[in-house]
Amino acid sequence: MSLAVRVDREGDRAIIIPTGPFDLAHATAAAQTVEGTEARLSGCASVDVDLAQLDRIDGAGAVLLARLLDRLDACGRHTCVVEGHNPEAARLIALYRERRADRPAPQTHSTSRLARIGALAAQLPGKANEALDFSGRCAAAVPKATASPNSVDWHSLPRLMQEIGADALPVTSAANLLVGIIIGFLGVSQLGRFGAVAYVPELVVVAHFRELGPLVTAIVVAGRSGAGLASEIATMKVSEEIDALRSMGLEPIRWLVVPRCLALALTVPLLTWVGDVLALVGGLGATALITHITTRAYIQATVNAITGEHFLAGFVKSPFLGLVIGLVACGQGLLARGGAAAVGTRTTTAVVLAIFSVIVISSLFTFFFALIGI
Amino acid sequence: MPLPRSHITVDNLSIGWGSRVLIEHVTFHVERGTIFTILGGSGCGKSSLLRYLIGLEQPGAGRIDIDGVGEPHRYEGMPPFGVLFQSGALFSSMTLAENLALPLITWTPIRGAIARELVQAKLDLVGLGPFAEHLPGEISGGMKKRAGIARALMLEPDLLFFDEPSAGLDPISAVELDQLVLTLSRDLGITIVIVTHELASIFLVADHCIVLDKAAKGIVAQGDPRKLRESSEIPFVHNFFTRSSPAASANQGG
Repeated sequence: MSLAVRVDREGDRAIIIPTGPFDLAHATAAAQTVEGTEARLSGCASVDVDLAQLDRIDGAGAVLLARLLDRLDACGRHTCVVEGHNPEAARLIALYRERRADRPAPQTHSTSRLARIGALAAQLPGKANEALDFSGRCAAAVPKATASPNSVDWHSLPRLMQEIGADALPVTSAANLLVGIIIGFLGVSQLGRFGAVAYVPELVVVAHFRELGPLVTAIVVAGRSGAGLASEIATMKVSEEIDALRSMGLEPIRWLVVPRCLALALTVPLLTWVGDVLALVGGLGATALITHITTRAYIQATVNAITGEHFLAGFVKSPFLGLVIGLVACGQGLLARGGAAAVGTRTTTAVVLAIFSVIVISSLFTFFFALIGI
Repeated sequence: MPLPRSHITVDNLSIGWGSRVLIEHVTFHVERGTIFTILGGSGCGKSSLLRYLIGLEQPGAGRIDIDGVGEPHRYEGMPPFGVLFQSGALFSSMTLAENLALPLITWTPIRGAIARELVQAKLDLVGLGPFAEHLPGEISGGMKKRAGIARALMLEPDLLFFDEPSAGLDPISAVELDQLVLTLSRDLGITIVIVTHELASIFLVADHCIVLDKAAKGIVAQGDPRKLRESSEIPFVHNFFTRSSPAASANQGG
């Protein structure tokens, strides 16, 4: 039997007789048929529904018929399901009619682009406040942690240094080696135009030791370990582990954030040193490959170029870069609320913010060193 | 053609993990349109049995046959039954309405206003009409379970599986959920299989039950739970239904 709704009219009274399958598989056709029926009922004061001809009905079909009756009722028509014919279908329709909830009017969202930009801008002071508040609490945690060392999870420090430092060594080393090669090639091609290839070793030392070594290492660590830390802490937050720590009288910032930040501040400089050495090797390889400078002469020039100032300029900033990665990653993790989706969102934000912060802090140091003439 | 009375037939089924056997040579059937409960203490394998019934695991020995489905682990295509997992298992990045629409969009060509109407009707059915645009993280545990039921109902199945529906709920929410289960069974004619150990819920809703025991590695009793409570002479079943500990009954007996 094909799906249809027959309408028998007698004056201002009508009987609607749905026939065929009113089920999920035919829901689209059923919805169209029901809509067509509504148009044919104009001018009727009373509408009866006879379900005897229904071939099959399930929840989806019942919803469509129930809503038709609701709409007819709302227009002031008297509706009635004919008793006795197909009681299961009648019960199903009645169930969906009586369980209809009054819904609040949908909120009208202002979706204009300007309004969205405004809303985002309005959030900025709050976010800055959150970040400052978190930094302040972390700063306050340091003297407290010193006063009561038991409130910090020191046992996790070796494991964290292993995960953040040793495990990241291959990827940071590879990145630094490649950057060293790039500076080498760049130096040869640009300085070579002025016959100044002999300055390539100094360029590699200055560029990498002072700026690129700490920066490249910190960006790789932010992407790798920052994401790991943020997702770990965010997962702990959404699964109430952070609340459990608080309930046991342990302050999460001291217990979790301090050892993580410390591990990063200790390991990022170590990774940077290894990276610096590999960048020198990369620069040597690139220069030796395309110029006539001997390895011995290159090494001699490199040794002469390495000064305490260059070394310190990079060495001073790398613990701060590690620290900011830890603060951003842990801070974002602790802000997670909700479920799995929040963990993903916070991790993404943590990585983006950590990389950006690393670049900003690195530039501030460079600016400061330039000011004081180092 | 009338549908067969038996909706699920389990024949000589054995299940376990690795070398650990949980249930051996179990045979039972679930009648169409009834509320069937699988009972037992913690660790007796009732949730594992559910995983086999819904086809997540392949039985090593024995056979499960669901009418119209065949062996559940071999079934491909639109799922012919709905499952409510213990925590509701809603996707946390989607609103309730999006969670409910997912099976509809995946398996049917229904879209737009009709899909929204069907989703809203199911949310209304479980009493969550005003929460369509909420995320799962914003609603309570009981509401998540009700939303899980609404999602399980989206494809109009004639068979539902519930894993511990009232676990972790307050008594009022638990009773409301039981009433919903009764409505689904009586008004929609759905066969419902429930894994639980909540006694109040069992006596209120169950038509038939099987009791699994860890030591016996199988069914130790089956039938109407109210009759089992009154007349079972098996100590484990008696203790289970009367909430008494083996030590207490031994003291009484001796």
